[in-house]
Amino acid sequence: MDSAKKRRIIRLGIVVLAALMVEVISIVQYERVKEAMEEEMGVRARVVLGAMEADVGHMMELTEATMKENLWKLRQDLDHPDSSFIALRYLVDDNPHVVGGFLTFVPDYFPSKGRLFEPYAKKTDGTISLSQFAGSDHDYTENEFFRRAMETRQSFWSEPYIDAADSLETLITYATPILDGKGEIAAICGLDMDVSWLGDTLNARQPFPSSFGLLLTQEGRLVAGPPETLVSGADVEAALEIMRQGVAEADGKGMSIRSVQMVREPYWRVVQVYRTQDVFARIWKMRRQQVLLVLLGLAILAFIIERFIRSESKLRKASEEQARISGELAVAQRIQREMLPTAFPPFVYGSLEPVREVGGDLYDFFIRDGKLFFCIGDVAGKGVPSAMLMSVVHSLFRMVSRTEESPSKILSMLNGELCRGNDSNMFVTFFVGCLDLYSGELDYATAGHDKPFILADDVSMMPAKANLPLGVFPDTRFEEQHCTLSPGMLLLLYTDGLTESKNVQRKQFGRERVVEVLNAFVKSENPTPAALVSALSHAAHQFAGQEPQSDDLTLLVVQFAPGDVLRERITLVNEIGEVDRLNAFVKALFGKLHLEGKTASGLRLALEETVVNVVNYAYAPGERGDVTILADCDRKQLRFTVIDSGKPFDPTTVLEADTTLDARDRPIGGLGILLTRKLMDSISYTRRDGKNVLSLTKEL
Amino acid sequence: MMKTSIQEQDGKFAVTLSGELDTAAARETEQALQPLLDSEGKPVIIDCASLEYISSSGLRILLGILKHCKANGSGVVLKDVRDEIREVLNLTGFVSLFDFE
Repeated sequence: MDSAKKRRIIRLGIVVLAALMVEVISIVQYERVKEAMEEEMGVRARVVLGAMEADVGHMMELTEATMKENLWKLRQDLDHPDSSFIALRYLVDDNPHVVGGFLTFVPDYFPSKGRLFEPYAKKTDGTISLSQFAGSDHDYTENEFFRRAMETRQSFWSEPYIDAADSLETLITYATPILDGKGEIAAICGLDMDVSWLGDTLNARQPFPSSFGLLLTQEGRLVAGPPETLVSGADVEAALEIMRQGVAEADGKGMSIRSVQMVREPYWRVVQVYRTQDVFARIWKMRRQQVLLVLLGLAILAFIIERFIRSESKLRKASEEQARISGELAVAQRIQREMLPTAFPPFVYGSLEPVREVGGDLYDFFIRDGKLFFCIGDVAGKGVPSAMLMSVVHSLFRMVSRTEESPSKILSMLNGELCRGNDSNMFVTFFVGCLDLYSGELDYATAGHDKPFILADDVSMMPAKANLPLGVFPDTRFEEQHCTLSPGMLLLLYTDGLTESKNVQRKQFGRERVVEVLNAFVKSENPTPAALVSALSHAAHQFAGQEPQSDDLTLLVVQFAPGDVLRERITLVNEIGEVDRLNAFVKALFGKLHLEGKTASGLRLALEETVVNVVNYAYAPGERGDVTILADCDRKQLRFTVIDSGKPFDPTTVLEADTTLDARDRPIGGLGILLTRKLMDSISYTRRDGKNVLSLTKEL
Repeated sequence: MMKTSIQEQDGKFAVTLSGELDTAAARETEQALQPLLDSEGKPVIIDCASLEYISSSGLRILLGILKHCKANGSGVVLKDVRDEIREVLNLTGFVSLFDFE
C-alpha cells in the first residue's frame, strides 16, 4: 500500500473518530438534559398534584361542612315529611359543587308516605327541582351506601358512579345518617357532587401537549380524566394499567407517571402522566440537528484540511521538481561553458553571458595551419531549446571546419545539417571567418548575422553580405567575402544581446552607443581584444543599470597581430638534390629563430627525413611532383607542415621500427619515420583536397 | 659539403667523415666507402670528430658497413662522436651496435 493511500485512510479514520466522539458527547449531553427534565417534570407534577389534591380535598370539606351545618334543620323537620323538601333545597342551594341531594328515610318512617319515602332535590343550571324519587322501580334500601350508612352509622363518601339517568356526569355522594331524638337512624341524607369537571380542571393547563392528569380511587378506578378530544381512551387505559400495579411513580410503555394520594377520605390519587416520547422528542430532535451540524462542520473542515494538505504536497513536489531542474540546469550550464574556449592567445578574446542558466549564443575559434578559424552565432530564442541547438551547431562547426577552410562551404554544410529535420523551425544567425595569421588575409561569410565592426585608427562596419540564417532553406548560398587586415586591426563580433540590451526606460543600448565605446577604445593606450571585450561588457551593464539582462550577450574580438608569429614557406620538386635547398631554407629559418645545437639539428633531421620520404615515395617513379613546406612559429612552438599531392600516405600509422635488434637483423628502412617521431613532439596527418598534409610540431 | 677519406694501415681501415651526411650527400659518400665493402671485412675505425650531421641515409651506410664487418668477424669503431650525432644514434638504437672510442 502506498503511503499516500495510508495517509488518506488515517485522515478518514480521524474524521470518523471525531464524528463518533461528537455523537457520544451529544448522547451524554442528551441524557443529562433528560435527567434534568425528568426531575423538573417530577417537581412540576408534584406541584400540580399537590394543588389538585388540595382543591379536591377542599371541595369535599366544603360539602362535608354544608352537610354538618344543615344537619340540625334536617333533624328539626324529621316529623314533617314535606318540610324536609325545603331543608333539602337549602342544602343543595348552599353548595355550588352539589348537584343534588336526597333523604332516604328508613322504611315506614312516615306511614302516610308509604314504606319508602325519598325527597329529592336536583340542581339543573342553577334551578332546583324537587321530587319524591322512591318508587316500586327504585328501592333505595337495596343501595350499597344506604346499607353501609345504616350499618356503620357513620358519614362516608361513596365510590364514584355514573348516574344511570344522566350518564354524562360522574357523581360521588356524601352520605350521613340523620338521627332522631332517640338516637335512632331516621334517614340517610346524601349530597351528590359532580366530579366530571375535575377531569377538565386537571387537564386544563398541561405542561406538554400529550401529558394529562387523572383522578383515581384508592382501588384504581377512574374518577375523572382528560376529555376524549385531548387524549385517546387507549392512552388513559394504558396509564390505568400501570397504576393498577399499585405504584406511586412509574415509567413504562413510553409513559412517565407521577401521583399523589389524598391525605383524607376518600384517599383518591391524583395522577400526572407524561408521554416521554413527546417530552424528549424535541430534545432528541435538537440533539440530532446539533450532531448533524457538527458533522457537517467536520466534513467541511476535513475537506479544507484535505485540500490544504493536497495543495501543500503539490507545492512540495513542485519545489522538489524545481530543485531537480535547477540542479540539472547548473550541470548543463557548466557543460555549455566548457564547450567554449576558455584559454585565449593574446590576439583573440571572447565572452558569453547567458541571460538564463543556458543560452543559444556561441562563439568559437581555433588555429589550424597558421590560420585562425573563428565564428559567432545566435540561435533564435532563449533557454534550454536554444541551448540544445547551440550545442549541435557548435559540434557541427568543429567537425566541418576541421577539414574545410572556406567559410562559405562551412556555412553551407552547417546549413544542410540544420535544415534536415528542422520541424521546430529554429534558425541560427552565424558568422565564420578564417584569418591567415601571417598575411592578414581574411575570408569570411555571414548567415544573417550582424555585421562585425573593424577597428583600425577609426571604427567602421565590415562590408558583409547578410545572406539568410542557417536552418531556413537547405539551398541557401552563402557568399564568401575577402579582405586583408593590416597589423593591429581588431575585428569585433557580437550578438544582438549587446545592441539590444535595455535600461529601465526600455531604451536599447543601440549601435550608436557601441560605436561611441569603440571610438573611445581605439584612442586608448593598449587596445587588446581582452580590453575591448571588457570595455563593451562594462558599458552595456552600466547602461542597463538595475534592468535585468534580456538576452544572451556574446562578444568575440580578433586582432591581426603578425608580430607574434613567423611563417616561412618553400616548395620543392621531388628530387633528392632539393634537400640542399631544404637545408638552406631550414638554416635561414633557424637563424631568424636563433635556434642552434641539438634542437636545431633534431628539427632539421626530422624535416629532412619527412621530405625525403615524400620525394622518394609519394609520386610514382618518373612522375613530377612537388612538396610544400610551411614553417610556423609563435615563439612557443615551431610547426612544419609538409604538403604534397602524391598518393595518400599516413606515416603516423606506420609501425615503429624495432631499435633493439642485432645489426644483422636490423632492416635498412623505417629509420626516417622513427627519427621524426622521436624528434618531434607531435605528428598529425590529414588528407585534404587531394593532398597529404602532415604537421610536425615541437614545443620550444 | 661532405668529405670522405679512407686509409688502410695495420690491417684496419681508418675512415674520416667530415661535414654533413644528409640525404643529398649519401649517394656520393656511399660510393666513396665502397672499398670497405669490397674488402674481406677488415675492422673499420671511423673518425667522426668533424661529422656535424647525419640523416637516416647516412645511418644506412654505417649499418651496411657494420653488417659486412660482422659477417667477416670484425667490427666498426666510431671515434670522437659529437653530441648531435650520438643523440641520433641513441634514438635509433645504433648505440648498442657500434663500438665507441
